[in-house]
Amino acid sequence: MFERFTKDARDVVRGAVEHCEGAGVRTVGAEHLLLALLDREGGRASFALAALGLADRGDSVREALEESRRRAGLSRAESDALAGLGIDVTEIVARVEEVHGVGAMAAGRRAGRPSFGRDAKRILEQSLRMALAHRDRRIGDEHILLALTTQPGPTAEVLADHGVTHAALTRILYGDAEPKAS
Amino acid sequence: MTEATDLAERAGDRDPRVGLRAVAALRRLLEQLEAVQVRSARHQGWSWQEIAAELGVSRQAVHKKYGRQ
Repeated sequence: MFERFTKDARDVVRGAVEHCEGAGVRTVGAEHLLLALLDREGGRASFALAALGLADRGDSVREALEESRRRAGLSRAESDALAGLGIDVTEIVARVEEVHGVGAMAAGRRAGRPSFGRDAKRILEQSLRMALAHRDRRIGDEHILLALTTQPGPTAEVLADHGVTHAALTRILYGDAEPKAS
Repeated sequence: MTEATDLAERAGDRDPRVGLRAVAALRRLLEQLEAVQVRSARHQGWSWQEIAAELGVSRQAVHKKYGRQ
C-alpha cells in the first residue's frame, strides 16, 4: 500500500513514528498522525488546514491532544459519562502518571521501534479509500487528514472542535461536489 | 446544586446512551489500568502466577494477554 503514498504522505507516516518515539510511547496512534500533519508546510493537507483557519492554531490543537492524553484517550463525551458515575478520569491518569511516568496509560511502553496501533492502521486504510473515492491516483497527506476526520475518537473530536470536519475538508479540497463512490 | 442541573442529571441517568457509554469507557479505562499494573509487576520481577492470583484470573489468561510484552 505504501508505494501509492506521495512523498508528503510518507513524511507524515515517518513523522508520526517520530512523535510517538519522542513521547516514549510504543504504539503509533491517530494523535501522532495529526501531530505529524501539523508539522507540515506546503502540502495539500497544510493548505486545507490553513484554509480552515488552523495556520496559527497548531498549538491549540496540540494542547487539546495533550488534554485528551490526560483523559486516558477517552473522548470528552466518554469522560463526562464516567463523571456521571463519580469517576474523575483526569484524577486517575494524574495518579497513575505520578507513579508510573507520563504516558504510562498509553498502550505498551516497550523498547524498540513503535508499531502502528489498530486505530492508526485503520486511518491509513481509510486514506486509501478516500483517495479512491475521489478518484485520486495517489494517497497524499490530505487523504490522511480526511481519514482522521472519519474515525470517531478523541483525535477527530479535537479536529472538529477546531472546525476541521469531514464536510469542511471535502469542500476545501474538492469543492462542493461529493465523491461519487464512497 | 441548582434544581435545573439536578433535574438535568437525573434525566441523564435514565438515558441508556449515557449509561452504556459510561460502561464502555470504564472498560477501556480498566484495560489501560490493568496493562499499567501488569507491566509494573513484571518490571518488579513478579511471576505470571503471582500477577494472575492478584487479578483473580488464570496464569494462562494473563500470560496470553501480556506475555509477549
